[in-house]
This record gives sequence, structure tokens and C-alpha cells, in this order.
Amino acid sequence: MSVRPPAAETPESATIEAATCLACGCLCDDIGLTVESGRVLDARSACPIGVAWFRGPIAGEVAGPPAAIEGTPVDPRVAVARAAELLANARSPLVLGLDRSTNQTVAAAIGLADRVGAYVEIGDGMASMPRILAMQRVGRVSATLGEVKSRADVVVFWRSDPATTHPRHLERYSAEPRGRFIPGGRADRRLIVVDTHRTATAAKADWYLELDEGRELETLWSLRALVRGVDLRDDRIGSTTGLDPSALRDLAGQLAAARYGAFFLGEGERASPPARATARSEAASLLVRDLNSRTRFVLLSLGSPGNVAGAEGVLARQAGFPSCVDLSAGYPRSLPGVATAAERIAAGSVDVALIVGSQGLGQGWTSKTSRIVIAGPGVTDGPTPAVRLTASRPGIEEGGSVTRVDGVSLPLRPIRRPAFPTERDWIERILAAITPSGRTS
Amino acid sequence: MSTLRIMGGLVVDPAGGIKGEVRDVWIRDGKVVTLPEDPAARADRTIDARGFVVMPGGVDVHSHIAGSKVNAARMLRPEERRDPESVWPRRDGFRSGTVGSVPTSFVTGYQYAGLGYTTAVDAAIPPLSARQAHADFAETPLVDKLMLVLMGNSHAVLDLVREGDPDRLRQAVAWLLEASGGYGVKVVNPGGVEQWKQGGMRIASWDDKVDRFEVTPRQILLGLAGAADELGLPHPVHVHGMNLGLPGNWETTLDGMKALEGRRGHLAHIQFHSYGGSADDPAGIDSRVGPLADYVNTHSNLSVDVGQVFFGETTSMTADGAVGQYLANLTGRKWLSLDVEQEDGCGIVPITYDDRNYVHALQWAIGLEWFLRVEDPWRIALSTDHPNGGSFLSYPRLIALLMDKNLRDETFATLPESLKGRTALSELSREYTLEEIAILTRAAPARILGLTSKGHLGPGADADVTIYAPDDDRRRMFAMPRYVIKAGVVVVDDGDLTSAPIGETFLVEAGVDPRIRSELEAGLAEESSIHPANFRIQEGEVSRPRAVAVGR
Repeated sequence: MSVRPPAAETPESATIEAATCLACGCLCDDIGLTVESGRVLDARSACPIGVAWFRGPIAGEVAGPPAAIEGTPVDPRVAVARAAELLANARSPLVLGLDRSTNQTVAAAIGLADRVGAYVEIGDGMASMPRILAMQRVGRVSATLGEVKSRADVVVFWRSDPATTHPRHLERYSAEPRGRFIPGGRADRRLIVVDTHRTATAAKADWYLELDEGRELETLWSLRALVRGVDLRDDRIGSTTGLDPSALRDLAGQLAAARYGAFFLGEGERASPPARATARSEAASLLVRDLNSRTRFVLLSLGSPGNVAGAEGVLARQAGFPSCVDLSAGYPRSLPGVATAAERIAAGSVDVALIVGSQGLGQGWTSKTSRIVIAGPGVTDGPTPAVRLTASRPGIEEGGSVTRVDGVSLPLRPIRRPAFPTERDWIERILAAITPSGRTS
Repeated sequence: MSTLRIMGGLVVDPAGGIKGEVRDVWIRDGKVVTLPEDPAARADRTIDARGFVVMPGGVDVHSHIAGSKVNAARMLRPEERRDPESVWPRRDGFRSGTVGSVPTSFVTGYQYAGLGYTTAVDAAIPPLSARQAHADFAETPLVDKLMLVLMGNSHAVLDLVREGDPDRLRQAVAWLLEASGGYGVKVVNPGGVEQWKQGGMRIASWDDKVDRFEVTPRQILLGLAGAADELGLPHPVHVHGMNLGLPGNWETTLDGMKALEGRRGHLAHIQFHSYGGSADDPAGIDSRVGPLADYVNTHSNLSVDVGQVFFGETTSMTADGAVGQYLANLTGRKWLSLDVEQEDGCGIVPITYDDRNYVHALQWAIGLEWFLRVEDPWRIALSTDHPNGGSFLSYPRLIALLMDKNLRDETFATLPESLKGRTALSELSREYTLEEIAILTRAAPARILGLTSKGHLGPGADADVTIYAPDDDRRRMFAMPRYVIKAGVVVVDDGDLTSAPIGETFLVEAGVDPRIRSELEAGLAEESSIHPANFRIQEGEVSRPRAVAVGR
């Protein structure tokens, strides 16, 4: 088996306009690249995180065979056959990662998971389930980022700090751009930051409120009550939120006075219990829904690097649920919280795991799980996998599409020929080696 | 070269003037061909259809099966897909999935084909959602698909309407179709969604002005209807009118019909736009199908689909964000809304149509009134506005009701007494014939869409054929075709899927002046959050594209 031949549209030296960057959740699609001999010389418009992402390691320069079994380089055909055999004979397989893969790769991976009856989790299921569960309980009033750009006169960053994590967010979408209804750009917007400490974004804000970390949920509910016109006493606000009541009243007034408000909710503490994390996401959703009885307001997230939104979308399209889907019964089931990937691994019930992309490598693996890892060259953390398949990088060497956190899908423009098969190639080869009835051919 | 002979069935092909006649249908390489002159000619495969009814494959003129709204509805409603009846187990060669009111993509294709439907339209795709919608189409097997592109609240369109430049507006329409890989023009509450996004006063009549754009819904509708006609698009402007679902909306519906005089127009889910009463007297809501159907009967420039409601649980989804908010507040249920830059958005709310609820029962009756009062079956198409009024899986039930007055009376007798005198349904004795059902479900929607290779079995037609076992129980007959043939391949045999080829995607190539395209793209770059080069659908992103010629 040889690696894929160079595609005509991936010249080694070229100028590429409108390339999409996967380094953070912004998914900026306005990057101009100058490429020479496969190297990115210049990434115009990109932020420092983006420049580093585009330059990245050049696949061919990173040592490593395309395929290995138990750490020993093998012919890729042998490795694919071994991966197929492991998956086809697995009692309780997992498919993990996929959060930095293209939509097309995800579609192929779910087809494979369906055939072998695997449990599928996109990225870090524990982190994403609160957001998903809150949406499933109460809905969500949201918008694409272009609406924020052209309409939002009030922008709230609630425990989110784009100036640090999403360097061009303020420039491209949320603070500075001039829009049809925001002709003055930054001057026409009120930027509000609510966080547990003064962040880099707070330094740029028009108004800042410091939150008591342990009472975030109470603060959201109190704010919602004020927006709904509930007659809350000052001492009650003070004792539940730990805040100056007049500051919270001021905030409620600013939100209600927006013509079109945008509320960017951060993920909060990773360590908080899932029920509480779900409750805070739900509280923010209901606050924004209630604000729509008085004005227009939308709730968004900053988004994660890569393609979490796209992967969840493809899984929902094919299986009906956005993450944590169990296909072992021969049809999709999703009972969140019952058994996430981490819990299954910890319980020792997983015999085979297919990991696509870098996520999941750091899980608490034991010798009970045979791992098949499809990842870029040089990704080596975790114990030696049973099968290692080296893939080219989505967005650099692999084309396809990805989806921004607001649901807008963008094409990728590969800049050089892949030195390794793409993630999708590997998955399709494994799938081809497993018969429709889930056995190896 | 492979040939298939469908032998000796009772062929019902209204477009070919065949009302029900025992004859053969011959298929070669996915197309219907003329009957061989040699009576002894043999085909590679023969289906003995003696005693069966043979019709073209069904065509759904208005459905929601792709794009961000459909997928958001799947994510929103896990509760609908957890019981054993709402899952679709995997079989060798086919994919598993879930059902509910919004089935997963593969299952959507399987279920359409299972009903004998082989073409379906997604009637509401914002240009920015087109890339995802095409990806969804690529995983919706067995049906050919096409999308209608939302334009009635597009900033570019509204600006050009205000500037009164029909040539440029026509180019903008062609550009949006090209960028989206779309087939036709959709208008949803023209200007009204933009106004709602702005938080302005609700737009309630055709001559209200949209804030900041200084245009009226009437100007937008006429501008787009004219552009569609002058470009020679196969399908006229497809209209979701104003005041959807509101008491008293029949008057704005009639005004909209009158506004379209001299233009072609298709009025979607007309059931939701045919209500008496008023905002001040919501309890006074009653059926006003009479005057509206009379108008349609005397104006051949118009066609409609119905948006029939069925009792039970479903999901409302609309590009009309204001309607989403209205329904969410009315029902108090969860509400998912997404404003999409440049154009519309979506509102999704679970809804339960309850046969003890006067308004829901009235909606059911109004839909049926429409079918029974429009005299020319070529200008009305069967739809539930899937999943809004109910799933497309309800079509066999609907067909049975149209063919049998007793069945209608039986259901009507179970509905609230207060319906009496508020709908003329029980006085309408019309019963659809088999030929008329074939018109309503395939020949008419194909003709309304301008799909010349669909909805008939004449030579050159795409070989999409449904073969039914005649049954006095019409519901059973139409729910369980004996065979379904897609592009010449048998895909359903006695209730079992036998293969699931992916269908084609119909789109138009309307021709865009490159200079105007780059000017429109520059405007987009100013306003949108994405690069214009990434706005346009690229080669390879459309699943099995099939371009249809335009031009008058």
C-alpha cells in the first residue's frame, strides 16, 4: 500500500487565500498562506496561535513509520487488518476523539462504529454533556457569529476570556467589527465581562463584575429574577450571590437595555459536578430566553479548537444524538451520565478502543484495552498502542469541511500533499476489511 | 444496458394521460423507455405486476430533511428516540438510526422509499447552511433531493429591492442559487424575520415597512417572484406567507395571493394561513378556506401545498424565527432558535396536536378542506410540511381520508362539538379517485417543481416507480408498496429494503455575471463572518449533482 498520490489542488508552492485555521474555536477562514516546498512561510491575518498551528511540524520531517503494531513498524496492510480484526471481534469497543477531524472523517468513523457496535464519544464527553443536556432540557436562543458582528450592541463574556484563548474573536466577531447596525464598531458596543478574576478580556471591557466562583449558579438565577422583574430584596441578593446588590441590578438593567445582546458563556470549572455544570448552562439559557421577552438576546459559546461542533453534528445526523452514543445494541442509544468513556475505561469493560486524533490518549488506560490510534506523527503520549496508524493533518494535508461553534460549515484548503494517509483513508480501509455483518473478510 | 419490464400492472400515469390501464412499463438504464415493438421481447428482469397498481414514484414538494434546523431538532429531542418503536436497528448493508418526528438522515431516506416516495424537497435552506444541507443530502439515500434557498430576508435582496434594480436583483438571486447549489427561491415571512431580529414592531401586513431597509413585504415578494420568473427557474417563488398560525391571517393570505397576480407563485403549507378570527378575538378562529380556495380555483398562476396536521407529538421547525418564539411562549415548552446572518434563522419547538383541543381539531379540518375545495388537483400537492403538521409517515392516513368521506366523518365525530359551523368539512362529499391521488402525490408536485423527468412514466422519465397492492384499506395500501424502483433499481420488495443507492441532487445553473458576483461577494465580506470564497459551495460538495436548464 502506498500513500495517497498528490492531489492536483495541493501544490507544494502556492499562495492560498481564505484558508481555515483550526487552532482555536474562532475557525478564522480568512487566512492567506504563502507556501514554499510545503512549508508555510507566511500566514497573513493569523494570530500567533494560528501561525504556530499552520507552521506545525512538517509530517515528512517527523520520524515515524506510517503504521506500527505494538510499537514495531509494519506494512500498513498488516496494521489495517489487525485493527479490523480487533474491532470486529471486540465485545465492547469504543470510538473516541474525532474532535479535530473533518466532518467527512467523522461520518466514516460513525459508519465503522455502527458496523462493529461501538460506543462513540466526541472529544471530552464529560465536558460537553452539561452544555448538551441543558440544551435538551430548555433549548437555546442563539445566532451565528455574523449576527453578533452586525447587530450586537451589548456583548457579555461570562467566564470566558477570548483575549487569551481566542485571540481574534474580539476583532472578527464580537467587539471591534463595524456592522450594518453597529456602524461605529467598538464605540457602538458595550462590552461586559463577568468572571472570577480580572482577565485580559476584562481589561478591554466597559464594565466588569467579579463573581464569587462558588455562587455562580445563584448569581445567574438572581440575575434572571431581576430581568423578569421579580421583587428581590437587596439583603437576599447579597446573601445568595455575595455581590453588591446594586451591581447586579445594574447588570440586569444593562442586559435589558440592549437592542441585540450576545452572551458568550464560558465552560466554567472542569472540576464542577456534572449536575451543577448542567444547571449553570441551563440557567444561562433561561436567562437569555427571558431576555427575549424584552429585547433580542442570544447565547453562544466561544468554541473549541478543531471541529467539536461538526463532529457532534454529524453524529446527531447519523445517530440522532450529539455525543455519548452507544451502538452496541444494533441501534443508537444515548443515556448521558450512565456510562461515559472514562467510566467504561475505569471499569475495565472496554476491550478495544479506536482513538482518532489526539484526544483520549491521556485517559487512564489499562492493559485490558487494546488501543488503535489514528493520529498525526509525533503524537506519542500514553502507553504503546496495539495498532498505531499515522495520519496527515486535517486542514493542512487533508481537505474536507469543519463546522464552527455556531453551526456554520467551512471548507478546508490543504496546502501540501499528505505524507501519510488521511484519518478518513485509514478509517475507510478498516471499514473495508470488515464485512457488513461486522466480521473480518 | 440492463432492462426491467414491469408487466401487466394497472398503470396510473396522469401526466401521460393514462388513468388506469393494464399495460407494461419498460425500463432501461434507469430511464423509462418506449415499449418494444416485438411483443416477444425479453427483459433482463421482469416484475409480474398483474393485479397491482403501478404509479410513478412519489414527490414531496415541501419537507424539512436537511440543514442546521433539522439537525438541531434531532439534538433537541432525545426524548423522542428512546423507546423501542423509535429506533431503527442496523441490518447488513444498511445503517442504524433513530426515528421520532425527525428521523436520522439514512432513516429518512429509508422511510421515504418505504412509502414509495423517491424525490423530496427541503424547502428552507439559508445560503449559509447550504454546505451542511448538501452533506446531509449525501447521507439521505433512496430519494433525489433538491433545496429551496431562503431569500425573503436576505440583506442583499432587501437592499436591491429598495434600490429598485430588477436586473441586479435577478443576478443576486442567480448568485444565491449558485452559491448554495440550490434549485429554487424560498420566501419566508418576507422582511418580517429581519424585523423580528431587529426587535422592531411586528410586521403584520404586506405594506408595513421593514425598519432600516425601508422596504415592504409586498415589494420583496414581487421582486423575488419576478426574478424567479424572469430567470426562467423551473419552480416559481415558493412562499411561506405572513402571520403564519395567527387567528385572522386569512386576509393577509388573500392579499398575498392578489399581490402575485401576473406572476407564478407556490403557496406553502396553506393550511397554516387560512384562519378567521382576529388577534383581539383569538377564540373566534374558524376556517376561511372557502374564499381562499375560490381565489386559487380562478387563478391558474398559483399552486399550493397543504401542510396537513395530524394529532400526536411532533416538532415544529421554521425559518420564521418569530413564529418559533410565538409557539414557545404559547406552549411553554423548550425553544431552540438560531438567527443566521444575512437570512432568516430557525425556530424549533416541540408540539403536540391534541384532538380534544378546538384549535388543533380545526387545523386538521382546514387542511382537509383545502384538498377537497381546490378543484384542479394539478395545482395542489400533498404535504404535512414534515415534520411541522406531522411526519411524512402520515401520508397514507391522509390519502385514506381523501378517498373516503365516511372515514372523515368518523374522525370528525370524535372531535370537539364546537367545530360545528366553524368548518365546512362535513358538508364536503368529494372523494379522491386513484388517479387524483396519483396527481396529488407525484404528477402535480413534479409539474409544480418543473421536474420534467419526475412524476410520470413516459419515455425518458427517471425510472422511479411504485407498485401497490390494491386494498380497500387505503392506508395499508399506500403504507406498504409491494415494490419500489429507484432509477431502475428495485429498492423495496415486499416491505423490505433491498438496496439503498444515494440519489441525485437537482440544482439550477442560472448564470451569474462575474462582475456582479464579485460586487455581491464584496458586500457579503462586509457583513458576514465568513470569507466570500468559502460562502460558495465548491465542486465535490454536492452529492451527485444534476443541473436543470433554466430559461423561459
